[in-house]
Amino acid sequence: MTHDPARYGVDGSGTIVTRPLDGLTLIYHRPSGITHIADSPLPEILQALERAPGTAAEVLTRLSEGHEIGDDEDALEGLETHLATLVSLGLVRIAR
Amino acid sequence: MTEPEAGRQDGQPEPQGDHQNTRPDAVRRRLFLAGGAAAAIVSVRPALAQSAASVLNCQIPVPDPARAGMHVAPDGSIVAAGTEGAFPGSGRAFTGEEVKSALRQGQLLPGTSQEQNRAYLNYIRRLQGGTSGFTCYASLQMPR
Repeated sequence: MTHDPARYGVDGSGTIVTRPLDGLTLIYHRPSGITHIADSPLPEILQALERAPGTAAEVLTRLSEGHEIGDDEDALEGLETHLATLVSLGLVRIAR
Repeated sequence: MTEPEAGRQDGQPEPQGDHQNTRPDAVRRRLFLAGGAAAAIVSVRPALAQSAASVLNCQIPVPDPARAGMHVAPDGSIVAAGTEGAFPGSGRAFTGEEVKSALRQGQLLPGTSQEQNRAYLNYIRRLQGGTSGFTCYASLQMPR
């Protein structure tokens, strides 16, 4: 039995509105009406997912295109933790 | 006397879209993904969620005043008056308490039939930010 990695995604365009604010990012989630004040790397992860849904490994590849990323294994583990946080907040959904 | 112009001072147009901090020419910077510690994130819920009393008394018009006179289809969408199977608006706004009872305990919204109640609740579930009653409905969803 194969175990496919989870695919993550964000809802359609316009669901999330982001604005930079003094080094932080305000993220307004229209469906819930909740505003999140987020620090890096969460806004960057959301932005990578807005391009297209993907697995954690694919998101990591997209992030590494525009950023310096450290040790791949540690980075992937950290990224998965951040994705779980975003899922729990309703900003990201698991798209299988 | 001229008012100082709001916004950018460099004569460039405001960037469009929701990612104003994204610049293709930005210096490639380090992104700290690892480390174990959760990234800082603070969530600000709609103000009404702060007050139990407000949630009970807040109001949800069906449909919202911008579309008064339109009818509510069984799936909750707003359709032209006279559409077959659709219901006219409720006439008065429902309170948060009434909607909460209908959603959680299955009680009918005051003055509605079974089907009308279902159509109205479908409308309420589909409320989006910017629509009258949305903040009230969103507040009902908040875990206390």
